[in-house]
Amino acid sequence: MRRFILRRLLQSAVALLGVTLVVFLLLQMVPGDPVRVALGTRFDPETYEALRSRAGLDQPAVVQYFSYLGNALTGDLGVSFRSGEPVTDIVLARLPATLSLAFTALLLALLIAFPLGVISGVRSGSPIDHAVRIFSQFGVSVPDFWMGIMGILLFAGVLGWLPPSGYVALSEDPAGWLAHVILPAATVGLVTASILTRFIRSSVLEVLSQDYVRTAEAKGLRPRVVVLRHVLRNALIPVVTVVAVQLASLLGGVIVIEVLFAWPGIGRLTFDAVQARDYPVLQGAVLLVAGLFLLVNLLVDLLYARLDPRISVR
Amino acid sequence: MSRGHRTLAGAALALTVALLAGCSSGAGVDVGGGDAAKGGVLRAAIGGEPDQLDPHKTSAYYSFQVLENVYDTLVEPDAELQMRPSLATEWRTSDDQLTWTFTLREGVKFSDGSALTAEDVVYSYRRIIDEKLNAAYKFATVKEVAAPDATTVVITLTAPTPNLLANLGGFKGVAIVQKANVDSGDIRTKPVGSGPFSVAGYTSGDRIELVRNENYWGAQAKLDGVTFTFVKDPTVALQNLRGDEADWTDNLPPQQVPGLRDAGNPTVQTVASNDYWYLALNQARKPYDDPAVRQAIAFALDREAIAKAAKFGLATVNQTAIPRASSWHYDYTPYNRDLDKAKSLLAGKSGLNLELMVTTEYPETVTAAQVIAANLDEIGIAVKIRTLDFAQWLDEQGKGNFDAFLLGWLGNIDPDEFYYAQHHSEGTFNFHNYRNAEVDKLLEQARVQTDQAARKQEYDRAAKLIVDDASYIYLYNPDVVQGWSDKVSGVEVRTDRAIRFRDVALAR
Repeated sequence: MRRFILRRLLQSAVALLGVTLVVFLLLQMVPGDPVRVALGTRFDPETYEALRSRAGLDQPAVVQYFSYLGNALTGDLGVSFRSGEPVTDIVLARLPATLSLAFTALLLALLIAFPLGVISGVRSGSPIDHAVRIFSQFGVSVPDFWMGIMGILLFAGVLGWLPPSGYVALSEDPAGWLAHVILPAATVGLVTASILTRFIRSSVLEVLSQDYVRTAEAKGLRPRVVVLRHVLRNALIPVVTVVAVQLASLLGGVIVIEVLFAWPGIGRLTFDAVQARDYPVLQGAVLLVAGLFLLVNLLVDLLYARLDPRISVR
Repeated sequence: MSRGHRTLAGAALALTVALLAGCSSGAGVDVGGGDAAKGGVLRAAIGGEPDQLDPHKTSAYYSFQVLENVYDTLVEPDAELQMRPSLATEWRTSDDQLTWTFTLREGVKFSDGSALTAEDVVYSYRRIIDEKLNAAYKFATVKEVAAPDATTVVITLTAPTPNLLANLGGFKGVAIVQKANVDSGDIRTKPVGSGPFSVAGYTSGDRIELVRNENYWGAQAKLDGVTFTFVKDPTVALQNLRGDEADWTDNLPPQQVPGLRDAGNPTVQTVASNDYWYLALNQARKPYDDPAVRQAIAFALDREAIAKAAKFGLATVNQTAIPRASSWHYDYTPYNRDLDKAKSLLAGKSGLNLELMVTTEYPETVTAAQVIAANLDEIGIAVKIRTLDFAQWLDEQGKGNFDAFLLGWLGNIDPDEFYYAQHHSEGTFNFHNYRNAEVDKLLEQARVQTDQAARKQEYDRAAKLIVDDASYIYLYNPDVVQGWSDKVSGVEVRTDRAIRFRDVALAR
């Protein structure tokens, strides 16, 4: 077990190294110059050169990459081109907002997707199954920003129940946080719920066609017991993977939704960093997201062993 | 923001004032709301987040929206954009116009209580000049800045500079900063200025909190503070205003502004701005090096339709750069839509393909381009619209990789700012390669011309040549649009887009 975790951590480190290289290469290829953006249209050659050399952008790309990597290994992710603040501080400051939105959205999604997916799988072909499938089709195909704006217009505008945008830290004012998180979390959660519902439905359907289910039914177990004890438990394993992937992508920040709702998370930070070509911040944000992704995956693998005794970690 | 949170913010503000040190806004200490005679914290929703709060290093308009209330300059523009005393109470120039002596206001303090003296002015200007910061070009003719005593600043020039006051006060990018604040690095997030408000808190991605500066030299601000939040989507910003989550915003959906303006609550006001938007043709490329081709395009454009599409009518069409309200305006409108004239100027050169570069950073350029494409199609020019994000757009502009582009210039005050860098052969913003020796000469003369009447004449002559040559094809001056709830009073919508909250009050 310990060896398994150690090996996975080592693999993660290699993966993160790969991430820095890929991001760096991509940034080299993307047109646009952070110093030009910082100066805007008021371009003055002298100021431009001064700023470039201050940011180290006049160095060859290889030198830039290795000096970045050298500093990163000591925990120094550099400073933002735009603000001059340390990247580590900037990125970590955005983490609570993203975490709280991601987990709330996932919770909502699970609360919706589980009952709907199971019912729709068990009662496949029934009117309720059709309704659920229409719902999940809607959630997957309607753009989230549109749903967000409609939510704002209805719940903040017409009904006046919720604030249209903004953020309050959970640690500061839990009630205020809840009021502000509902709309963005519901918007994101609805999309995630649609995806999960479909997976749960098909997973349940697949398990239902297995021999052991037929055996259980033949033994005369009540349908309720069959579903709860045999179907659900086995249907859960592929679902866990999908939930983990969804969680990881939520942790990466939901860019459009964070921008729309003025939610100060990683997604909005990434958006601003791309616009400004703020390479250090972008690198830092991607590294953090990649790290969270690897962590979630590790936890899922450990969870597998719990759910299914046939899988063991070595 | 709920009412409960506002109380909390008020408590945090009061605490911050007491401590005068950066305390986190999470401090849950039960302190009263402040002086009851004055009033409240105004919640302002702006369209984006400042990149940083160092006035000398930022170029983002969002930063200046905040910093306008935190910093002072030696002089500052009034509503008519005439330079008035601010930190400097008076100034005189030597007979040769090369030495300017400014007398500073007595007893001015930074918000932390330390004195602001002539040394701080010297330090601020030297910092901009020596470190080649963004506003360095405004000091191009400055040879030396000296502080013979605590309230006197002497600026020596290499050439007469009639627009020196506009350079030293036009915007807060030339503000007087505090050396200790710069040296500690705090200026990026906790800048210390001498303006009517000071920065009490900055939560990245979320909000900036200002509190009234009790050490301010002028009349004390009526508000206890201002909280800026960053709401990118104009529909959401409007909902904030309507739902009493914000008291003021300048980020309103343009298509709704005419209706809102008539409806009354929230109050929405529009004022013609000093900005202008234009079409530039790359004169290093054929056939746009030919003035006749550029004039043909100028004659083919339907400016009213362009302004209507781009700004929903919230703009005034213009054929010269400087708007009507300015004393530097030059009334000259040679290009009234005339397709026959345009075709004859093209002289059989139809079948042209023009690639027009626009940017999503300014959505109005994307919309305007569609009208321009339709207009030019009528004279046989096929327009291909190339839409880029701003970073790439600037890259292409810098490299000269364009047939034509659409953009605007914002916040100019003095005619030198409107013309020199854009139209002089050696101008730093002359990306479209305009060359006219006569214009160069006039712009150089006017730049050092100290006789105001003569200076106006020289700029008028330069403007006529620039328009005749269609160096830029001017399109319109947009309006400044702001909205506020009926609790807010004293807002002055300014033509230079400076957002000043010092005279604003909030009914409670």
